Amino acid sequence: MRRTVAAACALLALTLTGCGVVDRPDPAGWDQQAGTALEDAASQVATARLALRSAARERTWSTYTTVLVAEAEEAAASTEEDLSRVQVPRPRRSAAARVQELLSRAVDAVAQAREHAVDGVYDDAALLDELDRVDAALEHEHDRVAP
Amino acid sequence: MTGTRAQRDGYDVGLHLLDRQIIGADDRLVAKVDDVELTLDDDGALVPTALLVGLPALLPRFGPRLGSGLARAHRLVREAAADQAQPLIIDLDLVAEVTSDVRLTRPAHGLLRRMDQRRAEDPRRCRVGDLLGLPVRCAALPRRSKVLDLRMVGAPGSAGPHRVTALIVGPGRPGALFGYDRRSEPGPAVVGSVARWLHRHARVVDLDEAVRIDREVGEVGEVYVGADASLHPLRG
Amino acid sequence: MKRYFAVLLGVLTAIGGFVDIGDLVTNAQVGARFGTSLVWVVVFGVVGICVFAEMSGRIAAVSRRATFDLVRERLGPRIGFLNLVGSMLVTLLTFIAEIGGVALALQLVSSVHHVLLVPFVAAAVWIVLWRARFSSIENVLGLMGLTLIGFAVALWQLGPDWSELAAGLAPAEKPAAESWATYAFFGVALFGAAMTPYEVFFFSSGGVEEHWSDKDIGVMRANVLIGFPLGGILSVAIAACAATVYLPEGIAVETLGQVGLPVAVGLGKIGLAVVVLGFFAATFGAACETGLSTGYSLAQYFGFQWGKFVRPKEAAGFHIILLLATVLAAGVLLTGVDPIMVTEISVVFSAVALPLTYFPILVVANDPDYLGEHVNGPVANALGVFYLVVITIAALAAIPLMVATSMGQG
Repeated sequence: MRRTVAAACALLALTLTGCGVVDRPDPAGWDQQAGTALEDAASQVATARLALRSAARERTWSTYTTVLVAEAEEAAASTEEDLSRVQVPRPRRSAAARVQELLSRAVDAVAQAREHAVDGVYDDAALLDELDRVDAALEHEHDRVAP
Repeated sequence: MTGTRAQRDGYDVGLHLLDRQIIGADDRLVAKVDDVELTLDDDGALVPTALLVGLPALLPRFGPRLGSGLARAHRLVREAAADQAQPLIIDLDLVAEVTSDVRLTRPAHGLLRRMDQRRAEDPRRCRVGDLLGLPVRCAALPRRSKVLDLRMVGAPGSAGPHRVTALIVGPGRPGALFGYDRRSEPGPAVVGSVARWLHRHARVVDLDEAVRIDREVGEVGEVYVGADASLHPLRG
Repeated sequence: MKRYFAVLLGVLTAIGGFVDIGDLVTNAQVGARFGTSLVWVVVFGVVGICVFAEMSGRIAAVSRRATFDLVRERLGPRIGFLNLVGSMLVTLLTFIAEIGGVALALQLVSSVHHVLLVPFVAAAVWIVLWRARFSSIENVLGLMGLTLIGFAVALWQLGPDWSELAAGLAPAEKPAAESWATYAFFGVALFGAAMTPYEVFFFSSGGVEEHWSDKDIGVMRANVLIGFPLGGILSVAIAACAATVYLPEGIAVETLGQVGLPVAVGLGKIGLAVVVLGFFAATFGAACETGLSTGYSLAQYFGFQWGKFVRPKEAAGFHIILLLATVLAAGVLLTGVDPIMVTEISVVFSAVALPLTYFPILVVANDPDYLGEHVNGPVANALGVFYLVVITIAALAAIPLMVATSMGQG
């Protein structure tokens, strides 16, 4: 009986250290989370762009495009929110500000794409350019943060 | 279906009868064999007399501690019912034959009836589930041997003697044999040899005077195997 | 004509196993992230499920016993109960996800939010399970699900670089951006999905529903050898389409809409409409399969009457379980939980259920009391033992990999 209790305590201690109960912000950990967030945001921006382009070529119907872009917007928003909740370690303060701003720009672009999709406007060149630019910026930032 | 039990010299209760599907004469599924009732007859032989069905029969088979705990919890669910702890019974003479399932002579409708208090308290009756897993004390066997299964002669639904002739004992859990040790045609050779190695110490103990089953109702008992008991290896 | 319909049980079983809502997204996800480097796992899984589905189908045909019946007999009530809990959790969680999946597919054609559609979908699934004949469910949904072959047509139309796709088949060609741990996680997930226990529960119980006898072993084998490879082909086609369109763009697949977009790119609205019909049929079919399997498992453990081959009145307990499962599914989905997340969680429980399900099948397939002269030959036994070892390894590796890669996020 005592052996079981000791084993259980050891297992619990191991899991807790693994999970990092005492959450100290760690630059490498933040880099990884920021990298993932930037990747996810780039994926959502690219999805929105592909959806609009396909709709412009009449490859999808309006409801499909709307659902696709709306889901991308929701995912982008939650990516931004999740990263903003992570405690930023001191050496990464400026990088974090940059990344958050970029993510927010991505969310805005996708939100605008969703508005266009709902309205049935698929060929707004300015928006498509913005989506391209945001995508490139996200990739560039990703290479800086998590090479 | 090849070879019913009746055409062979007998069967093993745990392997061939317990947990089998019971099917009525109208092809409707009745229940699973949750346990089997054994009665000590006047000649001192243990004879199977009924199939037991229902949670009161199934839950105690989950092990000595866990099983009795679950059975107690089930009894408390409706404490006001007098017979809540009693299983449902199917007398063994309603069994037509046992193949891969248990076929009855009557249709399923209204077949099961609850065991009455008198039968439940009869000291000459016990259940197979009570005997499986009983610790075995024997000089010739490893320390932690238990009753793994009960070997019977005869078959349900056929004429002739039908009783427990031997105990299969050995270290390990009841039911883990899967029949490999007693069949001449093993299944996948690898699995068969692993099973046989795991049960290399298992033995068949004929149920005669040298064997004494010590059981109080409601308590875990023991089986004493004397020095002059006949032990056989499993195969053959 | 009727003879061709006879293989639709296998097709429907395969649909529920290979292209249910979780697999639709996972296959596309795998294609988008790993290209074709995990296709070999799908092939490996197809062979595995064929081996065991054939065994359980043979047992159902010769001895009229469905798989879960055997689990309690061979493993005993205690371990059998452990398997029951594990299998029920997988099957029930998948059932909940599938109803959500049907709603997601309908959302793509209507403007209604998928959560609002859940009560109607749940009601429709329950009515079908209660009223429709088993053969109708099998034939209609099996045939409709085959429209997912549109992915193969779209792949052709997208005109990928075939030599590049073929070169990507080697595991070593895994994209460098993904770690081997993530590769292993998705490999185990794909393998586990190909061999989910409810496939053999449904297939063998379906064989009993269809009143197979030992004369139907040929039909049963046709079901296996046509249905499951077809399911595998659909899986691979979805992955290849996603690889072609998404891998260059760096898009990760997380929603059903993204799964279908490559077909839109390749074939336009008509192709997309066909595969969305396929999404609907596959998720509805999988919902029927998992819903019925929930009832089959419980009834076959406790021994009460199950099946649609008797009137609902005579299998009241079975149908009540189906009703309760449907109500539970609707309740869970109305909380707004993501159906796809629900399937990912069920992977955990299949780790327990997999070895405990396939071991009894292998043992009984060798038992002459059940199969008479139709017991396993040496080839079936060798493959069975080999896959049992692989299944056990996969089951042991599933949870550590899940934790180490945070469900594949890497």
